[in-house]
This record gives sequence, C-alpha cells and structure tokens, in this order.
Amino acid sequence: MHKRAFGAVAVTGVAALALSACGGSEPAAPSNPTPGTSSAATTTGEPETPTGTAAPVRDANVDLVIWTDPDRSKPVQKYADEFAAENGVTVKVQISTDTRAQFKDATKVGKGPDVIVGAHDWLGELVQNSTVAPINLSADVASKFLPNAIAATKFNGQAYGVPYAVENIGLMYNKDLVPNPPKTMDELVATGEKLVKEGKAKQVLSQFVSKTGNAYFAYPYLSAFPDGGIFAVKDNGDYDPNKLLVNSPGSIKGGEVLAALGKKKILSTNVDDTNQDALFDTKAAPFMISGPWSVAKAKDAGVNYGIAPLPSLTGGGAMKPFLGVQMFYVSSKAKNATLAQEFVTNYIPRKEVQLALFEVGKRPPALKEAYDEVAASDPDVKAWYEAGADGLPMPNIPAMNSVWGPFGQATADIISGKSDPKTRLDAAAKEIAANIAKG
Amino acid sequence: MTKLTALVIKWVLIALALAGVLWIATQLAIAGNTMAVIVAGMVGIGILAVYGTRRNVPLKYLLPGMLLLVAFQLWPIIFTASLSLTNYGDGHLISKEETVTDIIAQSVREVPNSPRYRMSVATREGASATTGDLVLLLTKPDGTTFVGEPGGLEPLPAEGVEKTTTGKITKAPGYTILTAREVNARSKDLSALAVPTGDGGGIKPVGLSEAFEGKPSVTYDAAADRLTDSSTTPPTVYEPKNARWVSTADPSVAFPQGWQENVGFSNFSRIFTDETLRAGFAKIFVWNLVFAVVSVLSTFLLGMLIALLFNDPRLKGKAVYRSLLILPYALPGFITALVWRGMFNQDYGLINGTLGLNVDWLGSPWGAKAAILITNLWLGFPYMFIVCTGALQSIPQDVREAATIDGANAFRTLRSIIMPLLLVAVGPLLIASFAFNFNNFGLIYLLTKGGPFDGNDTSIGSSDLLITYAYRLAFSGSAPNYGFAAAVSVVIFIIVALMTIPAFRQTKALEEVN
Repeated sequence: MHKRAFGAVAVTGVAALALSACGGSEPAAPSNPTPGTSSAATTTGEPETPTGTAAPVRDANVDLVIWTDPDRSKPVQKYADEFAAENGVTVKVQISTDTRAQFKDATKVGKGPDVIVGAHDWLGELVQNSTVAPINLSADVASKFLPNAIAATKFNGQAYGVPYAVENIGLMYNKDLVPNPPKTMDELVATGEKLVKEGKAKQVLSQFVSKTGNAYFAYPYLSAFPDGGIFAVKDNGDYDPNKLLVNSPGSIKGGEVLAALGKKKILSTNVDDTNQDALFDTKAAPFMISGPWSVAKAKDAGVNYGIAPLPSLTGGGAMKPFLGVQMFYVSSKAKNATLAQEFVTNYIPRKEVQLALFEVGKRPPALKEAYDEVAASDPDVKAWYEAGADGLPMPNIPAMNSVWGPFGQATADIISGKSDPKTRLDAAAKEIAANIAKG
Repeated sequence: MTKLTALVIKWVLIALALAGVLWIATQLAIAGNTMAVIVAGMVGIGILAVYGTRRNVPLKYLLPGMLLLVAFQLWPIIFTASLSLTNYGDGHLISKEETVTDIIAQSVREVPNSPRYRMSVATREGASATTGDLVLLLTKPDGTTFVGEPGGLEPLPAEGVEKTTTGKITKAPGYTILTAREVNARSKDLSALAVPTGDGGGIKPVGLSEAFEGKPSVTYDAAADRLTDSSTTPPTVYEPKNARWVSTADPSVAFPQGWQENVGFSNFSRIFTDETLRAGFAKIFVWNLVFAVVSVLSTFLLGMLIALLFNDPRLKGKAVYRSLLILPYALPGFITALVWRGMFNQDYGLINGTLGLNVDWLGSPWGAKAAILITNLWLGFPYMFIVCTGALQSIPQDVREAATIDGANAFRTLRSIIMPLLLVAVGPLLIASFAFNFNNFGLIYLLTKGGPFDGNDTSIGSSDLLITYAYRLAFSGSAPNYGFAAAVSVVIFIIVALMTIPAFRQTKALEEVN
C-alpha cells in the first residue's frame, strides 16, 4: 500500500514536470478572458503589477491603457497621471513582463492596450501583423529629436512611434590599467597583451560571443569596412531585405579580423552573457565591449571604468555599432485611439518626460534638448552617445529575424576557427536568403 | 444522513456546477465565441442528464474524467492538427480584407508643404455628443479658422470664436466643442473622418488638438483584386500570391502584411520533401531516442546501485546519506542546469579546470551530447534512487533467505529474485521517465539551446530534440511559423504514440510475474 501510494505520487510529479516542459512548445495562451473588475478612477498611485509572468488583463473601464516593462512603469505612471488630470480622463499603466509577445497575443483577441513602450526593432513584426498605428509628428516636433532616433521609428517611409532613448555598445576600459583608451584595435591588442605579460590582467578583452554567436556584438567588426554589414540601405533610408551584405568583400574583411582575434584568443566563444561582466569587473580583462547596462555592475564592483568609442580596424574605418531606439507605440486596434495619439504625440516629446525616463535606464535621451541637459552633467551619457555617433539604427524590417541566428552562428564559427571567413559567411548569406524567401 | 439531506446536497452541487457552466458560457458569449457557447450549453445539459436522473450510473463516475480528457487532451490535439493545415504565423495573422484596409491606411503620408492645423472636435449645436455628426474646427498657422466636414473645408467667420494662445478653438457660435473624454469615445468615427481637400487628400486629426493633411498612395481595385501604389514611378501593381500582396513586376517586392489561409497538407509535404529538414529530422530523431534511452538507463542503474548499497542493513548513517543524495532532486532543475552550463565552460569552467582538460564541452557535437547526458544523470538519479529504495524495502526478506538457502550467490539473487520484483514496481515509472526525457525541453534549452550548429546551417542543432527543434521553428526561428511547427508537433505526436504502444505491452508482460 505504502509503495503504491508513493509510486502514484512520483508518477504525478513526473507527469506535472512533463506537462510544464511541453508547455513551452504550445503557442502562448492569450490572456485570461476575464474582464478586469471595475475600478473607475485608478489614475493615481502605483502601476499595476502582474501576478506571475502572465499578461496583464486590460481594464475595460479606463480611458487609456499603457503597457510597459517594470523599470519604466514609475515615470510613465507619473506623466500618465498628469495627462489624466489635464484632460479629465482615467489612465492605467500596467506592467507587462514580455511586452512584445503579450501585446501580440492580447491584441489578436481584442484585449490589447492602447499604448506600449518598446524597442524600435520590433517595428517590422508589428507592422507585418498589423498591430501598430502610424504616428504623425509635425515636422518641427520631429526635428527636435536626434535624426537617427526619428529614422528608427520609420518603416517603409511611415513613422510609427515617438522615441525617448537611444542605446549602443562602446568600449569600456579600466582606467587604473589603461589611462587612455586605444584608438585602434591593434593598439588595444598591444596594450592588453602587455598587461597580460606583466601579470596585471588575465586576458585582453571581454566580449559576448557565446557558442551560438551574437550578431549584435559581431556586427561592428563588419561595419568597419566599406560595404560591410548585413543589409544594404534603400534610397528612402530603409534596409533592403533583398540586398544582403553578409558576404560582401567588406564583410569578409571583417570576418578575417574576427578570425585573427579568435586565433589569438582575444575573442572566445567561451565568453557569454554569464561571464562577460564578471571578467571586466574582477579586473581579469582591462577592456570590455558592452553597453550602458553594464555600467551599474562595474560601478558596484568598484572598477575605475572609462567609456570610449569602439576602436577602428586596420584597413577599414571605425567599428560602427548598431543603435537601438526605445519608443512609444500606439496600437492599431486601440480602443482609445484619440487619447493614445494625444499622449504619445503631445506628452512624450516633452523634456521633463524624457528626463524622467532617462533616470531609470541612464540611456541617452532621444530629445536633443533633454540629451544636452543630461550630457552636461553626466560624462557617461556623453561617452555612450559619442560611441554611437556614427552608428546606424538596427534593422527593423521583419527579415532581420532571419539574420540573428545564422549570422551570429557564422561569427562564432569564424572566431572558434571551425570555418574560414569566406566560406562561412557565404553559407550564412545563403541560409539567410533562403529563410527570407520562406518567410 | 437522511435521504432528504442527501437529495438537497445533490441538487445544490448540480446547481453549482450549472452556475459554473453558465458563468463560463457568458464569458464566452462576451468574447463572441458562438461555437464554444454551444459546447458549454451541451456540457450543462450533459451534467443535468447524468446527475439529475437515476439512470446512467457508470457515467456518473466517468463524466468528470471525460470532460477533462476532452478539454486538456483531445482539444489541444485537434487544435494543433487543424493549425497544421494553415500558414498561421508571423505576417499571416489577419484576414485578407484587413490587410487591404491596413495597407491603404498605412500608406497615408503628409502632403508636402501642407500646413498643420490646430484642431478642436465639435458637433453642431443641439446635436448629440455621442451620435451627432462630427466636425473639425481648424486653425491654420496664420490664424484663419475653418470648419472641416465630410463635405469639405469651409471658412469659419472669426466673430465670436475664442482661441487659446496656441490657436485651438475653445468656443465657436453654432458648435458644441466636445471634451477629451467625449472625443475619445468616438475614436472610431474620428478615424473614419477625413476632410477632403481635393486631389484625393484629406485633413485628418492627430490626437486631440492637431490635424494634418494626408493622402494615401495605395488604392484597391476590388474587381481585379489588385493593389496599386502610386508613390513609385511607374506605379507598382500588387497581386495576391502565397497569401501576400506581391508586385507583378518584381516578385521580390511585397507588402509585409499577409493573411491567414488554409494550405492543405503542404506543411507536411515540406517536412518530408525538404532535403535539410528530412536529413535533420532523421538525425534529431536518432539522437532523441539515444538521449531518452541512455538517460533512463543511466539514471536507473546509478539510482538502483546506490539504493541496493544503502539497503544493506550493515551500513551506518543511512538517513544522512539518503538525504544528501536527494539534494540534486530537491534543487530546482533550471538552476542546476545553468550551474552545469557554467561548469562545462571550456576556459572558465570547473570541470576542465579541476581535471586539467581542454574539452570544448558545449562547442563540439559529442562534447555537448556528453555534457547533456552527464547533467541529466545528476538531475535524474535521485528520483530513481528514491523509487528503487521504496521498491526494495517492499521486497520481503524471506524471498532472499529462500534464495540463499537454495545456494544462490549474491549476484544470482539480484538477477533472478530482486530485479524481476523491482522491475514490476519500477517498470511503469521507467516508461514515464522515458516519455518525460523524450520531451525534456528545459534541459536542452538551458544547457545548449540545441547547439552546437554544424554544417553551416542553424536550423538543426547537434543536440536538438524534436521538441526543441519544433520550438525553434515556431518561436525563435527566422520567421515564426505556427502552422509549420504544428505540423512538426503532429508528426512527433504520432511517433511518440507509436513507440508507446509496444512499451505498454511490455509492462503488461512484467505485471504477469506476480
């Protein structure tokens, strides 16, 4: 009897595990179809936090619903309250743990929010699934933003959002070991190798590569060369999915740099998201290629860090990173389209809103006026901005989804020496083109 | 308990169940799902018919299980199978009609050099704010005022008009200006409103207080079923092809918005005809089988050996050892997998570090497979150890004594007496463990994400299981394609079902030992 009961418990346990494991393969269930309990005036106070990781449930009795990630919820709530008071309406800010997926699922069943906060590279997918509405900023308001930030809100010539921050990677260096940042990769390698020889460091550079590769971090090596990169740019400023640059002569030169650095163990597939920051923060590596998100950790670790633009490569120019732009979108299925448009076009371009949003992520604001104010007092922000000065916005076309995996893996294989740059990039280009054709 | 109380309790329970069904049905009705409402109604009638009468005694026991079976087993299978016959996926989520209206709406561009108007939304005096025709009261940058209606743009006499400093009209004789909330309530009417300016353009509102002159560049010819984009020279004509609008001149040019449609069995024929997929599918299937079998055998053998060892009456401090051995099972598997991933790191990992090796565990096909099996052994053996300990303790001591008296040595006793008795108890659990490991998504995903990817192709990894492969196709792949992933899931389902039949026959044979 005892045995049998025990067995039954064990089987149930295994079944539960199996169910939870299988759960991953089912399309994510749309949010619970229970309408929110009526709460007429919830415009003030804390943003609503979700239970677990489920999508928030849209409140049907509110005049404007905004979904944001937990970090940004506080400043968004503050200005949402102000907006509500000014217009005599109710606004609800809800926290969404995975806005990109939850917005898609909820909108499909008519329960999506009116406004979302997200990255610009979601745009192609959102347009493809017809879930975002165009935003018509007047020319003089648009001109108050950084040109690259405005360019990133456009898809096929149409603008779909209002930006509030830009981010990019740069070179972080340990000022105690390296007083002046290197201008070229050769200089970086020489300085680093000298430090390793002297026993002051264990390795030259910490950069996220990983076994499956990282296209975002590998791209600047290609973009340093003329016509190196991922997609060619069309006349209207959009990326052209039919003109792949992944195996252009310039990209192959970039691939050769990756191979050479991999051979010298300066880049390694054993460095990934789990140890990248630790290597720099424990002073094992004097240089790290990373973004604003690494600053807080370095500060906590007490590293005397500096931020500089990415170095330039011999035979090419400066490594140009991708720019990521954070923005506010309006849903094309918004139930409160007018207020959503009003909030996004009239409130987000305000300086105080941009400054409040800067405080949470410390990324350079997209509004010039706000950027100038922060840059004057915060040298880090200025340094990040300058590191991205000649970067281009990350492609926001849906075809980019076909690039991340194959291109990232190709760079990992080149760095690990499994394959030579030309063969591997040719194969990646072939695979990407085939995937784009299928999609 | 009297008969009356029993009857009351019975009907209260039935009423509660029916109220539950009614609540679900109303929720479904709100969501507009007619079919589901009908099904809920039928379930309600079924509950009443089975429990309200004295007949159908067996059904009284079977009904709850049957309902759960349909809801959680049959329905997902049917849903997945029906999904596998469509092209449902990113870029194919909406209907064809929606793509047409969407493409036209998104092609609206501001007319170059046109002014931006300050705008108030109003109705004619006396008209209802909720149903009356909307008019736009507009102010040009030079201060002149206009009334915009579906009929066109008319000048608004300045007399009696009050404006804010920015030029937004706050009062105009003959018109009632709507509040923000009233305007918002009519968002739909407002988005349909465009004040024609001639030349196909129109003045459209942006938010509450601004308007711009825009013009769509795309037109739809319903008779020919063609879209024409006049913003290019010459105008581009798009025709429907493979559920998307594709340019007739250059097939590589298409609108990103596509629609959902049935594609028959083409997802299935793609699985069996695409050369990479077919070769990859076979490769993944073999590794999947090896992984499940080796995982079950290795965890079972290690768990059983330790259980046998700790079952020896001469061993001291068993309670301590046993608790320690259960620890890997008690820790969350996700954390353990991530810790092992760190330990397998070639340069910084504990394993290569302490053993003085330089194995590229996670970067070479065989290394990754070995790493996965080692991690799974660590994760799985405590479970087998618990199960075997329980089973061993239930084997009566006299059977062993009888074997010893008959002159059997320790190995012979194990092989001929203990093992068969153990397998009766543990056999079904081994099958459960096999089925679980066959779909052990979490482990693979956390440890290698299916990689490393060899042979210049990133769709098929050397440590992929069918389930991680289907996941990549559906969600994180190049173009998320639920229809195709559903087809792969159906194929996996059939394979697992076919393999389970002989396995269950085998357990029946084991039960006959008793």
